[in-house]
Amino acid sequence: MSRAMRRIAAVSFGVVALLTAWLTFQQVLAGTTYSDDPRNLRSLPEPGDTRRGIVTSADGVILAEDRDGTRTYPEGESYLHIVGYVAGEDSAGIESTRAAGLRPLGDGSITSWLITLFGGSVEPPEVRLTVVDRIQRVAVEALRGRTGAVVALDPATGAILAYAVSPTQDPNELASGDVTVGEHLADPSSLDRVAFRLLPPGSTFKTLIAAAALEHGMSPDTVFEDTAEYLAPEAGLPITNATGGTCSGGTEITLREALAVSCNTTFAGLAVELGGAAISGIAERAGFNAVLPFELGAAISSIPAAADLNSDLGALAQTGLGERDVRVTPLQMAVIAASFGNEGQMMRPYIVDAVLTRDGTTLERTGSESLGQLIDPTVAADLVSMMIDVVSSGTGRAAAQAGIDVAGKTGTAEGAGGPHSWFLALAPAETPSIAIAIVIEGEGTGGTVAAPIAARILETWLGSP
Amino acid sequence: MTERAETLLLLAATLLVGAGTAVVTLTNEEGITFDAFVAATVFLASFGGLLFAIRSWAPKATRLLLPPVALLTALGLIEVFRIDRDLGRLQRYWLLLAAAIAMTVLRLLHGRGVEVLRRFRYLFLAAALGFLLLPLLPSGLPLGGATINGSRLWVRLDFGERALSFQPGEAAKVLLVVFFASYLAERRRGLAEMPRSIGPIRLPEPRQLLPIILAFGVSFAVLVYQRDLGASILLFGLFVVLLYAATDRPAYLIAGGMLIASGASGAQNVFPHVQARVDAWLHPFQDFAGGGFQVAQGVFALGEAGMFGTGLGAGAPYLIPAAATDFIFVALVEETGLAGGFAILAAFGLLFAVGFGIAVRSGDPFRSLLALGLTVTLVLQMTLILGGVLRLMPLTGITLPFVSYGGSSLLANFGIVALLSRISHEERT
Repeated sequence: MSRAMRRIAAVSFGVVALLTAWLTFQQVLAGTTYSDDPRNLRSLPEPGDTRRGIVTSADGVILAEDRDGTRTYPEGESYLHIVGYVAGEDSAGIESTRAAGLRPLGDGSITSWLITLFGGSVEPPEVRLTVVDRIQRVAVEALRGRTGAVVALDPATGAILAYAVSPTQDPNELASGDVTVGEHLADPSSLDRVAFRLLPPGSTFKTLIAAAALEHGMSPDTVFEDTAEYLAPEAGLPITNATGGTCSGGTEITLREALAVSCNTTFAGLAVELGGAAISGIAERAGFNAVLPFELGAAISSIPAAADLNSDLGALAQTGLGERDVRVTPLQMAVIAASFGNEGQMMRPYIVDAVLTRDGTTLERTGSESLGQLIDPTVAADLVSMMIDVVSSGTGRAAAQAGIDVAGKTGTAEGAGGPHSWFLALAPAETPSIAIAIVIEGEGTGGTVAAPIAARILETWLGSP
Repeated sequence: MTERAETLLLLAATLLVGAGTAVVTLTNEEGITFDAFVAATVFLASFGGLLFAIRSWAPKATRLLLPPVALLTALGLIEVFRIDRDLGRLQRYWLLLAAAIAMTVLRLLHGRGVEVLRRFRYLFLAAALGFLLLPLLPSGLPLGGATINGSRLWVRLDFGERALSFQPGEAAKVLLVVFFASYLAERRRGLAEMPRSIGPIRLPEPRQLLPIILAFGVSFAVLVYQRDLGASILLFGLFVVLLYAATDRPAYLIAGGMLIASGASGAQNVFPHVQARVDAWLHPFQDFAGGGFQVAQGVFALGEAGMFGTGLGAGAPYLIPAAATDFIFVALVEETGLAGGFAILAAFGLLFAVGFGIAVRSGDPFRSLLALGLTVTLVLQMTLILGGVLRLMPLTGITLPFVSYGGSSLLANFGIVALLSRISHEERT
């Protein structure tokens, strides 16, 4: 009898110990995850300490700080769509998503108690972004006076290196109240064209079609018939090439050559040959029709279902050119391009590198996280080698860098006010340290408008590491 | 521990009640009111009386039992008052009554010891079943059943303008432990033998299994008719643990566990109120405005706590529905922090250690099983309610012993303290 009793007693003490550990765990979880929940009446702003911490770029430039009690954004409009603003009760961007992280640490939480216990600083913390100001400046400058977006990220981690949007607005005017939040939201400058602008990807989509072809047993050297026109079965209008004639000037063309010169007839035919399931399949693996997990939010890129594509082969042919009903955000294209340079593995994009106390202790660090394998490493390697030809001898020559292989792909998408100019870039092609997606709206072809911007960014990035 | 230390600790708890109540009123800008004095006086009278009764009628009882009980009662008295002034004042009357009942129990057992309880065991069983059935009386009579929060656990005694509600199930709990202990002390050899076998599984005589099936039936009836998941699990769990302790046969534990698991999963499918509890546990934020509201508010309160809490009276525990009963622990953690939570858990740990110690040392099977059963009652109640409010399991409405508001619960738990003291005294004579 007493043996059973001893066991019952041991289990009871185990329960007390478990509850102690569980209480601690739940407290920390509740304190970090739910303290900011808008439904939590306790999270209403306290009258006490309203100071906020600073936001800095990866290379140490201050992007937001309290100056004499006023929230100030020293870099002004360059970072509006990242850092956001605080204007009265309203806030946006990092200022909103990290509102809790920017609060002073002396708030009675376990974290603050531990920090003070070990002599740390409880001043408002620093939120350090992954964005590199050196690159961001070039991107902002290139976009000045245009409508468009530039986003660059590290293919290996998903860390965002540049995130520029035009038109934009000075957040200081919002913080001071010179411009009301209502006026700002009604203005085109409030649209984040990196993550929320949905456009047809144009020929940049051919990278995914080529990847699907490679997955279906073709190689870069697979030969196609080179024709001046392609008419899908039961389709009304034929598809032609940008040059008007055939792509190679001859009667045959390899997949490699077709991607380099962005041959419409080849890819239209390829899309119909591969079929709707293969096209929508690879696009959905690449994140279409799903929410991209991103701190600042992102619109859902979309592609029709396989059955819808197969039911209209003319539309399927146009889908192969990234037209018709395909819609994508520049951020999504950048994540896809980055995966080609990361052995086919897509990484979750992130913009906050770390939250630090003012004396440099890391409170929180964002780790890289995989979004899954888009394509096999061998397919990715073939694709990158084909994309190198785009820049060395194809439509993307304007992005070439002396002595360094750059992989790229141009795109020209139909737009109401003129064609949208796309460019994707990966460099250095052997082990890419940057993946870029650029879109300039209504200004011309990808090779002439967007590719030169990529060249300037690559020059800065690769020139002084 | 010496008698002097016990007395000093009880005085410290008295001071805590007075100071805590004063802090609550001070924080809410009411100044130090008469309440602080009354609360401390009532507390001192209750525990002083209890201490006197133990020293007079169970003089050899352990000195370790009262201090943790006093700490828990003190914290409960402060926090209930903090959440609801009227409930807090009412709780003081209950505390006096509970101490009086504990003293009466000690006085009655002074002559012949707990052994006398064995003689009345079928009377206790009948009384316990009667108490369990009492809430099913029709409402409207001077003494009638009442449904509160969807559970029919209450009996309302009407005095014209005023009404007094109490849960007879709380008293039934203690009576049933006495019955179980005396029944099992007698039958344990028969239950421990496993003469029959089906393949590798060895079984006792089927007639020996009748009581366990009966206990399960009663527990299930409580669940069905009174819609009280917590009491149902408590009753059955108590019986299974005692059966295991009496026989040393883990098979009973396994069989009981399987019955609980199948009963619980069956109940989840059949009873919408059980299903709702499970949903609120797993996804409190999905139905925030509805079923998940209470659990979600508990999470918010917990998030506010930090290491030392907001301070007594400075938090907002009243935002949680049933803060003074089911969620009293979370309310205390919000205002006294993890430090306060750890203190409560430590007090329970000490209380259990004393209870199990009495059970293990007692030579007589009846006294030993009785002490164990009373302690296990406290363990199960604490586990069910703390596991529920901390989202380790679905929330079942049950009181946190000594801390939650609730008259019947306080009376029953002080009865447990009196019985444990008496058993402790007897095993040393």
